[in-house]
Amino acid sequence: MRTPGRVLAQRVQQIKESRAFDVRSGELPTWCPGCGYFGIHQGIGACIQEMELPHHQVVTVSGIGCAGRYPFFSHTYGLHTVHGRTLPVATGVKLANPDLTVFAVGGDGDGLAIGGGHLPHVARRDVNINYLLFDNSIYGLTKGQPSPSSPMGTVTKASPGGTVDKPLNATLLALTYGASFVARLFAGDPKGITAALIEGVRHPGFAIFHIYTTCVTFDKVFKTWANLKKWVHPLPENYDPTDRRQAFDQVLEDDFSMGIIYKRMM
Amino acid sequence: MPEVDVTVEVCGMAGDGTIAAGGLINEAMSEGGFSVLGFDSYPAEIRGFGRCVTHSRIGTAEIVALGEETHVLISLNDEQSRSRVNSLAETAAVFFDNRPPAYIHEEKSIASEVDPGAMLYGMPFSDLATGASGSSRGRNLTALGGFAAVCGVPPEFFRGVISRKFKSKGEKVLQANLKSFDAGYDYALENFSDRLLKMFTVPENVAEGPPKVMLSGNHAIGKGALDADLRLYFGYPITPATPIMEFLAAQLPLRGGRVVQMEDEISSIGAVLGSGYAGRRAMTATSGPGFALMTELITHGVMAEIPAVILNAQRGGPSTGLPTKTEQSDLHAAVFGGPGDSCRIVIAPTNVDECYHYTVKSFQLAERYQTPVIVLTDFYLDNRVENLPLPEATPEEKANWNVYPEESVQGAYKRYLVTESGISPRALPGTEGYIFSATGLEHTERGTPNYTPENHTIMTEKRHRKIQGALADLPAPVEFFGRGQLDVGVIGWGSTFGSVLEAVNAVRMRGWNVGALKVTAIYPYHAEIIRAFMNRCKNVLIPELNYEGQLANLISHLYHKDVVRLNQVTGNPFPPSAIVAKIQELLQAGER
Repeated sequence: MRTPGRVLAQRVQQIKESRAFDVRSGELPTWCPGCGYFGIHQGIGACIQEMELPHHQVVTVSGIGCAGRYPFFSHTYGLHTVHGRTLPVATGVKLANPDLTVFAVGGDGDGLAIGGGHLPHVARRDVNINYLLFDNSIYGLTKGQPSPSSPMGTVTKASPGGTVDKPLNATLLALTYGASFVARLFAGDPKGITAALIEGVRHPGFAIFHIYTTCVTFDKVFKTWANLKKWVHPLPENYDPTDRRQAFDQVLEDDFSMGIIYKRMM
Repeated sequence: MPEVDVTVEVCGMAGDGTIAAGGLINEAMSEGGFSVLGFDSYPAEIRGFGRCVTHSRIGTAEIVALGEETHVLISLNDEQSRSRVNSLAETAAVFFDNRPPAYIHEEKSIASEVDPGAMLYGMPFSDLATGASGSSRGRNLTALGGFAAVCGVPPEFFRGVISRKFKSKGEKVLQANLKSFDAGYDYALENFSDRLLKMFTVPENVAEGPPKVMLSGNHAIGKGALDADLRLYFGYPITPATPIMEFLAAQLPLRGGRVVQMEDEISSIGAVLGSGYAGRRAMTATSGPGFALMTELITHGVMAEIPAVILNAQRGGPSTGLPTKTEQSDLHAAVFGGPGDSCRIVIAPTNVDECYHYTVKSFQLAERYQTPVIVLTDFYLDNRVENLPLPEATPEEKANWNVYPEESVQGAYKRYLVTESGISPRALPGTEGYIFSATGLEHTERGTPNYTPENHTIMTEKRHRKIQGALADLPAPVEFFGRGQLDVGVIGWGSTFGSVLEAVNAVRMRGWNVGALKVTAIYPYHAEIIRAFMNRCKNVLIPELNYEGQLANLISHLYHKDVVRLNQVTGNPFPPSAIVAKIQELLQAGER
């Protein structure tokens, strides 16, 4: 059924008034239709709008991969670096000019494989940067190889017999490394992303947002929209994110509870 | 006034106070108005039974290279000092402990090793020190007392530097050290009165000119960075660059900057690039293995056009190589290392003063040309000490060279605007109206990824045009001695240039028609000036501390015939005598 022209015009007007597109650069994203990254993009944009961060005071640093392209689509200062080095470069930006709000974005390959060695150090240094780890458990830009967070048995062209390595859990790693703010989020819930980001940006130390997302092109089995929607759920009602021990228990028991897992009181 | 040119070595085992004694000699002789060049060698291992040697060349004229013959050897451990005997001059003076703390066989004493022409000064260092201060710990100072008395160094020079050096250790330690020194001095005056050498006549012009300080290459680099208003230093420990980080860790916070020890060299250069992108002066210092790790991000700085200063203190390679030995074998890596046509600026100081000024300069070059600037030094240059008037950068040398965009382009800003100079005005994040993304992907003027043939061609040309343009701000080659046609022209770079200068100076005294060219801008290089020099030479000789002849490979195409290469990979500074011998060989071949 076609939407009547009057209703459509009304919707366009609403979107314009919400200024939801202000934080888009005008570049057409290179992501596939249906990609989870659109939801993350929307969540970050809404955070910038709601916090009224001046766009020129925001820097988005990224690595390589589908997530690495993020800065081009965002109307903020951007720095698209090399594979795996998002966090050290973002550290340099923030230390050089602490007035800037710094988002670091990268995928699971960028942050857990080639760049995995930087995560513990940025966590213990506790520089005030906001790291969004887009975790779809697959290498998308290189057309579908297993990533460090792929579950065992993942079949790809590079692993025809199924992967035999155990997957890494970024949330658990961040907790272990002593990150002072850890959130686990779902790309299908942009509002949840925005809410956590606002809290994370206000947090005066390193904040990591481990975001479960899809690769609609190369993963038809594991992190599909249908599966993720079925699996994810909020943290328990009485959950206390300032209790690190409880955070460990939660993460060890449940891979799919979403929200602010840990927040060190500063 | 007689010309003084004396080389003094102190040799002992780790723990003997060898390096401290050598340092005191340098300071005292500098105080006395002499020119001093010092260089220590020590084992890569911290503990264990390593040999320590300090080498000081002391003279009335400017000293540009290490001495190849030792005139005075102070042995704190004879077993170790035996290794120094081969480099002793025929009539060298040898100071040794004739009643050493650990019993050694008489035939193992240095006295049984040296040539009959040597002057032997056996003194009971340990006993004298113990007698004077109650502890033999000051025996290295007792040895210095003997040296001062015999060689004719006024004792107040030593007393002055000992007082300064040990002031912070408390009055008791200071007095013990002074007493140990005096005991040696008095003993030598009394016992060797018939054979005092008095080789150091104090220069008459001591009071003239600005006071001199002892400075190592690394210290000069650190001070240069401080004076250039460095804001952030990111680094990872590696020999021989670590002292730069340690110096800055103490000094930079006092000036509002920060030193961050990162998890590796990759993150160090990453953070430097992040700071450079955000518009603050930042640097890192490393050596070959660390530099190799930085390569990918250095080319990112080239592509995304981000300022960065990287100091590569070269050591022997490849791989972990020879961590405490000197070599000039990273030139290829500095100039060409990494993927793609990634041109960047590479400069190489040749002495301590240049270490200072080139470090200061590198920040301006990085800002104006928006690119990584690599300063190439080497173990010998980093660790040697020279006495020189304290270098101070002028306000012009420190000035901010960032090129900011005009206000008129606000809202329509092209970060990578193609210009004739190749320089695109650069906005800093935080500035309203100039939002852009920097990227390591090939990109359009606006910074949008773009892989079309036309765009990649235009942008590659722009980046290379920019780097070639930097020649205008780079130090031009300097010619020494020569005029007109030369039989041999010697081209030197880095620490080897001092040896070139010494060698050419020596052969010109013999009346030979030889000149020297100092090249400090390694990339881009002054092709026209170098070519003009080469074409006035019957032979061009390029001595380098590497096997492949890396500078020769870079510039030999400028000459109409093959350049003569002289390569050494001994791990030691280039000996001037080897250059003299090669020049002689070339001249003789020319005569035939």
